[in-house]
Order: sequence, then C-alpha cells, then structure tokens
Amino acid sequence: MQVIAYVVFFAAFVWLVVTVKSRRRLIAVTLTGVMVMTLVGVLQPAQAQSGMLRGIQVILSVINGMIQTALTSINTVRTAENNLQQLVAWPQQLINQAKAQVTQMIGQYRTLMSNTFHVNLNSATLPNPQAFEAVIRDHQVNNFSSLTTTFGNTYGLIPVATTANPTDRAMSDMDDALALDNLKMLKASDQATDIELQSADSIENAASQAAPGSALFLTATAIVSGIHSQALTQKMLAAELRQEAARLAHRNTLRKENATHTTQLRGVLVNLLQHQ
Amino acid sequence: MTKITELPRTVKDWLLGHKLRAAILALVLVVTTPWPARAQFGLDPCCALLAAGLASVQSALTSVVGGGLNQILGVDKAMQQFQQTVVWPQALINQAKSLVGLLQGNFNQIQNLMKLPVSSATLPASQQLEQVLLSHNPNQIAQTSGAYTALYGPVPAPTAASPQVLNMVDMTDAAAQAAMKRAIEIDALADLELQAANQLNQSIQNAAPGSAPIIEAQADAWLIRANAYTQAATADLMRLRSIDLANTSADIKMGATNTTNLRQALANLLQHE
Repeated sequence: MQVIAYVVFFAAFVWLVVTVKSRRRLIAVTLTGVMVMTLVGVLQPAQAQSGMLRGIQVILSVINGMIQTALTSINTVRTAENNLQQLVAWPQQLINQAKAQVTQMIGQYRTLMSNTFHVNLNSATLPNPQAFEAVIRDHQVNNFSSLTTTFGNTYGLIPVATTANPTDRAMSDMDDALALDNLKMLKASDQATDIELQSADSIENAASQAAPGSALFLTATAIVSGIHSQALTQKMLAAELRQEAARLAHRNTLRKENATHTTQLRGVLVNLLQHQ
Repeated sequence: MTKITELPRTVKDWLLGHKLRAAILALVLVVTTPWPARAQFGLDPCCALLAAGLASVQSALTSVVGGGLNQILGVDKAMQQFQQTVVWPQALINQAKSLVGLLQGNFNQIQNLMKLPVSSATLPASQQLEQVLLSHNPNQIAQTSGAYTALYGPVPAPTAASPQVLNMVDMTDAAAQAAMKRAIEIDALADLELQAANQLNQSIQNAAPGSAPIIEAQADAWLIRANAYTQAATADLMRLRSIDLANTSADIKMGATNTTNLRQALANLLQHE
C-alpha cells in the first residue's frame, strides 16, 4: 500500500519538475516534493513486530488457558488414580494386616494341628499285631516285605492245596492280596499326605511374606497342589472300590456255593425219600 | 505506438537538456525511496517489547507447563514406586516362583509314591485279576470280567438255584465288576491329573504376574474336573454298599419265605404220617 502511494506521489513530483518553468518554482517544488515523499516513503513501524507481540499474547493465553487446564486435569486424574491404587486397591495397611493375620494364624493353628495329627494311635497289645500295626502306620515305603511278613504272622498264610478247595484258596489269596495292596498304598499315601502338609506349610509361610503381585503365583500353585490332592484321594477311593468289590464278590461266591450245595442237598433228600 | 518507441529517446534528450532537474529527481528518488525494514539491534523499543514477550512465554512455559508436568511426573513416580515396592516387588515375585519350583519337587515325590508296585497275590487266578485291577490301563478293562469269573466263578445255571437267588448273584457280580472297572478308570484318570498338574506347575514357574491368573483359571478347571471324578468314584462305592445292603435284606426275605415253606412241608409230612 505504501509503495503504491509512493509511486503515485513520485509520478506527480516528476510531472511537476518536468513542467515547472522558473528556477524559483523548481526549488519550491523540489522542497515540497522532498517533504511529501519523505512522509510517504518513510520507514513505517514494522507490522510484523506488532503481529509478533499479538502472537506472543496468543501463545501466552494458550499456555495459561488450554495447556494449564489440560495439565491440571491430567494431574487430577493421575492423582485420583494414585489414590485409588494406594487407598482402595492395594492399601498398604490392609496388606500388612493380611500378612500379619497369616503369621498369627500360623502361630495359632499349625503346632496345635500338627500335635493333634501326630497323636499315637497304636493300640495292639500282643506281639504279632503290635509288629503289624507298627509297620502299617510308619509312613514308610521301603519295608513292604516286613508288611507282608507281619501280615502273615497276624492273619496266617494261604492254606496249602491239600487243606482247602481251590476256590477257597484263590479267594483267600485274593482277599489277602487286596488287603496288602491297600495297606501298601496307604503307607505310600500316608507319606504323600506328609508331603502335602509340608507343601501347605510352605505356601502359608510364603503368603505371610507375599505381595499382591506375588500371591498370584502362590494361589496358582496351591490349586495345582489341590489337583494332586484330589488325584491322591481318587487313588485311595479306587483302592477302596477294589476292596469293597472283592468283599462283595467273595460273599457272592459263597452265595453261589450255597445255592449249589442246597440244590445238591435237595437232590439227595429227594433220592432218600424215594428209596424209603 | 511510435510515441512509445520514441519515449526512451525523448526522456534521454530531456535528461541531457535538463541536467539539474534530472539530478534533483535522482536525489529525491534515492533519499525518499521506502526500503525494507532491517532487523533490530536492541535499540528499538519494539525489540524490548519482543524480549519482554518472549520472557513472558519462557516464564509461562516454565511455571505453567514445566510446573504442571513436574507435578504429573511426581505423581507418576509415586505410582511407579508404589507398584514396584508394594504391589509387584520383583524380589518377592522371584521368591514366589522359586517356591513353585520347590513344590514341584514335592509333587514329583507324590507321583513316584503313587507308582510304587503293590501287587501281592500268589496264586494264578488271583494274580491275573490283581494284575488287571492294578494296571491303571483303561484298555485292560475288557479283561476284568474274564479274570473275575475265573476267580469268583460264574452265575449258577438256571436249574441250580431259584430265579431270585440267580438275580441277586448276577446283580452282585455286576456291581462288583463295575466297581473294579471304575477303579481302573479312576487310577488312569488320577495319573493324567498328576501329569497335567505337573505341566501347570511348570507353566506357573515361567509365568508373569499378569499371566499367572490364566494358568490359575485352568488349574481351577482341572480341580473341578478332579472333584467330578472323585464324586464318580464315591458314587460307585455307594452303589456297592447299596447292593450289599440289598443283599442282606434279600437274605432276610428269602429266609422268611424258606422258613414258611419248610414249616408247610413239615406240616404236610406229619399229616401224611
């Protein structure tokens, strides 16, 4: 805009200089032209600087307005999240309280339960039953031969072939075998129970020192321990099933024999009456 | 057109003819031409304003933005420290994982205990049945009936006993055999559960706190499954005892009938004499 005004005034000045006649007028036109052209062509205050100042004010208003508000909001949210974590989700006081409770319950129950569980149950009074009872309750799995020997000493051996019929011998052998099988399995399961109790103690001890983030591992392995425990219970139930089934089968065989004997007796009696 | 082409010559002629006026024009042009503004060197009041503005921006950035970010950083640092020291402390996580490894040793011991050979029969028929019963192999379930019959005998022939007795004997054999078959199944299932439990425990050792709950959920599912199998075994045990009780009751009923029949037969016999 300034350039256009300058060009217009300069053109007018040139026209006046060209057309003026006298020297005196030339001087007057020159002086006037210089003054006017100076006014028109003088350096104007920089528009860019005033624009920059306005820009700085805009930036300041953005910083003090939008950015400050946003940062304050973020800070509020983060502070709330921090409070939520520390006061609601994982309050340090309750974590310590829980750990202290674990420790307290260990002290209250563990020894008491262990002492109760380890009360001596042996009750036999005669030498052979005493030896047998000692073996079946010793939680050891390296003396199965002693178990078989003491079992034989207490309950006797299978009759020899000349002193009992084959069915009775076989059933007696099966009954003894299943009884011994189960007694051996119970020795093993007694030892397994001891190991399970050790595992439970270890998990409980660790729980008393755990953090919320490490307790997850303890929970998971405790559940796995529970699966092991269930499997063990199932094996004991399977043994019990075998034993009960054998007992029922044994009695059923006696029933079969009774039926056969009754039929034979009835035949003998009928023959006897017919001969009279 | 001719005037335009002759204009430079006309101007030249005029300039040569009016040297003073040309000099005045040139001088005025040089002096008054508006030149582009130059950069300031600090003496201009505008520069002072600019410096003050920039200082304000710097101050605002430092106090508002820097201060706000520092507050957020402080909160984040507190959260990070809380999570690292209270919620997820690496040392305790490692300690827990180490315990999981130690417990694996206990599990292995239990598994080995359950594999100990316990067979004890001495005669052929009982050895054969015992071998099937302790096989832990579902494929041998089909051999149970043969080995059972070889030891405990078959159901008597129809002429050898009353239908009531025959029914009772057959039902009892069936219950006993089913229980033996169930025992083989349960042994095999328990072996698989132990195997799966070991796999799960090894996964826990390699897990992160965020993935451990997933393994835990699977272990929970296995525990439910194991409970179901335990219940099935318990059910078969109860069935056996129910059959046993029913047999005892049937013996009493048949005894009463037999006694009545015997009394009638004796009365008839005495009347004939």
